Amino acid sequence: MAVDAPEPTSLEFDGATIQVLRAGSGEPVLLLHPFGCAGRWRPYHDLLSERFDVVAPDCPGFGQSDPIEWIEGIDDLVYFTLELLDRLGLERPHVVGASFGGWLAAELAVHSPHRVGRLVLVDAIGLDLPDQPYADLFAMTREETIAALFHDRAVGERVYPPDPDVEVLVQDYKDKTAFATVAWSPLCCNPKLERRLRRITAPTLVLWGAEDRVAPVEHGRRYAELIPDAMLAVFESCGHAALVEQTGPAVEAIGEFLQDVSR
Amino acid sequence: MTSPGPMQFYFFHLMPWPYLPADFDRYESSSVTFPNAFYDPERGHELYNRYLDELEYAEQLGFDGVCVNEHHQTAYGNMPSPNIMAAMLARRTSRITLAIVGNGLPLRANPLRVAEEVAMIDVTSGGRVISGFVRGIGMEYFGTGVNPTVSRDRFYEAHDLIVKAWTTPGPFRWIGKHYRYNYVNIWPRPLQQPHPPIWVPGVGSRETIEWMAEMEYTYLSVYAPKAQIQRWFDQLREAYEARGKKASPDRIGMLIPIYVADTDAQAHEEGRQHIMWLFGKGLKMKFEHLMPPGYVSLDGIRAGLSGRARKPFHEHSYEELLENNQAIVGSAASVRDQLTEFQKDLGFGVLCALLQIGDMPHDRTVRSMELFASEVMPHFRPAPVVAAG
Repeated sequence: MAVDAPEPTSLEFDGATIQVLRAGSGEPVLLLHPFGCAGRWRPYHDLLSERFDVVAPDCPGFGQSDPIEWIEGIDDLVYFTLELLDRLGLERPHVVGASFGGWLAAELAVHSPHRVGRLVLVDAIGLDLPDQPYADLFAMTREETIAALFHDRAVGERVYPPDPDVEVLVQDYKDKTAFATVAWSPLCCNPKLERRLRRITAPTLVLWGAEDRVAPVEHGRRYAELIPDAMLAVFESCGHAALVEQTGPAVEAIGEFLQDVSR
Repeated sequence: MTSPGPMQFYFFHLMPWPYLPADFDRYESSSVTFPNAFYDPERGHELYNRYLDELEYAEQLGFDGVCVNEHHQTAYGNMPSPNIMAAMLARRTSRITLAIVGNGLPLRANPLRVAEEVAMIDVTSGGRVISGFVRGIGMEYFGTGVNPTVSRDRFYEAHDLIVKAWTTPGPFRWIGKHYRYNYVNIWPRPLQQPHPPIWVPGVGSRETIEWMAEMEYTYLSVYAPKAQIQRWFDQLREAYEARGKKASPDRIGMLIPIYVADTDAQAHEEGRQHIMWLFGKGLKMKFEHLMPPGYVSLDGIRAGLSGRARKPFHEHSYEELLENNQAIVGSAASVRDQLTEFQKDLGFGVLCALLQIGDMPHDRTVRSMELFASEVMPHFRPAPVVAAG
């Protein structure tokens, strides 16, 4: 299902060009991408933009953004994101992050709780649960990656065609490199994050695929347990890429949570 | 045919683990994930000693040097620490050069350990060490946890630190991006001055070639088809010329599997299995393991994913490997001819001959080494000066 992407805008950061896709109206939502979704406007962006002002940057090195030389760890990405919010004039947006983007969202909310309206973590990585290790996405072939990301492989193969041309694979490598820059060691997590989560003040929705084979649902339970005002929603028959695999229900749940006036 | 130029001969050993299970083909790789339950320390004891015997025998046969190298968590080569092997050889040999090609610099938390160990072997051996430096192939980053996105950066910084530790009186401070020391003051210092010769194996990266021309270290090509190696060596010579220098043949080396038997027919009949073990099993490695994120540039990965380069070693037939000149197999006369042709086309002065290949047993290895030493090497060495009268 193809949707028209909004016209990208570009920002300069220390000589690097950072791309931001933005569309919709309503309260601003900073949407932080998983490592394979940067630079693309997917149906979940579109659906969400029917209710919100969706701001979707490509983090440095991902998608159409250049790498920034000083980004070496997730903490650097937090400072980058804070600067980005300042430059976009976003004082306190809602923040929605999936997988890698969920990790960044959680770190951002820990660092600057006052800058996050409401927080949504979708199958986020970042926690250090040695008994529930992350799948090693760095070692996987494209086929293995699709099998790991999706509960329903057919959905995965529609979104990520199994035998793409070389430039698609080069883009994958670019995204993986940006991801590895901050996540290779220590293995897709920040061991200190767990004890810091209690700093988060934003009402938080933790949304997880019950069949997540990359970050098992125990990670979601742990996030929901440690973030003070958090609720957990687990989607049955859904894998790691919940926003792609169950776009309609996932966006509906996020929209309802962000607009829930009773909270 | 013109007489070939002088050549230095090194006997290169990988120390492979030949005892693979019958159903090896169902495993994705010889490395990283291939279970070490298949390693048998009892057989390993015999194998290490056999392999060391072969390396020591190279001295008796008149090779200029022997090469040891570093790989981790793999049946392809059982030398996680090449320095340990070189140290043993230092005491069991007396003349031969010990080429460590090389230590995987970015893989080390403390590169001064490399500076110290190489200096120890250099001092013990009486200055017989060649110190190779490598980044380590991509798969090593899965087994060491080191972030491959900083591999190149760490390589250069560790290199600069080690060379400075060898050549600059200590103690001095080192404040780098990846390594920081208040005190760099290594004991022992190397015997060779200003420091042991440095070799760097490469697979055609333009950046490495430019750096090699800048540093004038010996560049060693590994496994690639001859046409590709020719491009790399031409680029290396051009990079020297661009700096107003000339790349002498001893700055250009080639590593290649070689099998010599009494006749061509016998050599192919016996050699095929071992060559196919090396490329088809030992080098059966997952693309994703060889190319972890950030290990190569986007241009590098584009080249790796395009065209012929995309076909992995283990999918090549024996005939294809020979056609690409990725191995030299034959009688002594025909190996001599092929090597002459190689040298004429490529202009290198250092040959690292992989004469123990894959699952090749000891007797064949020794016979091939002997034929090579007695009937091939002399052809590439200056005739001894005989006093007239």
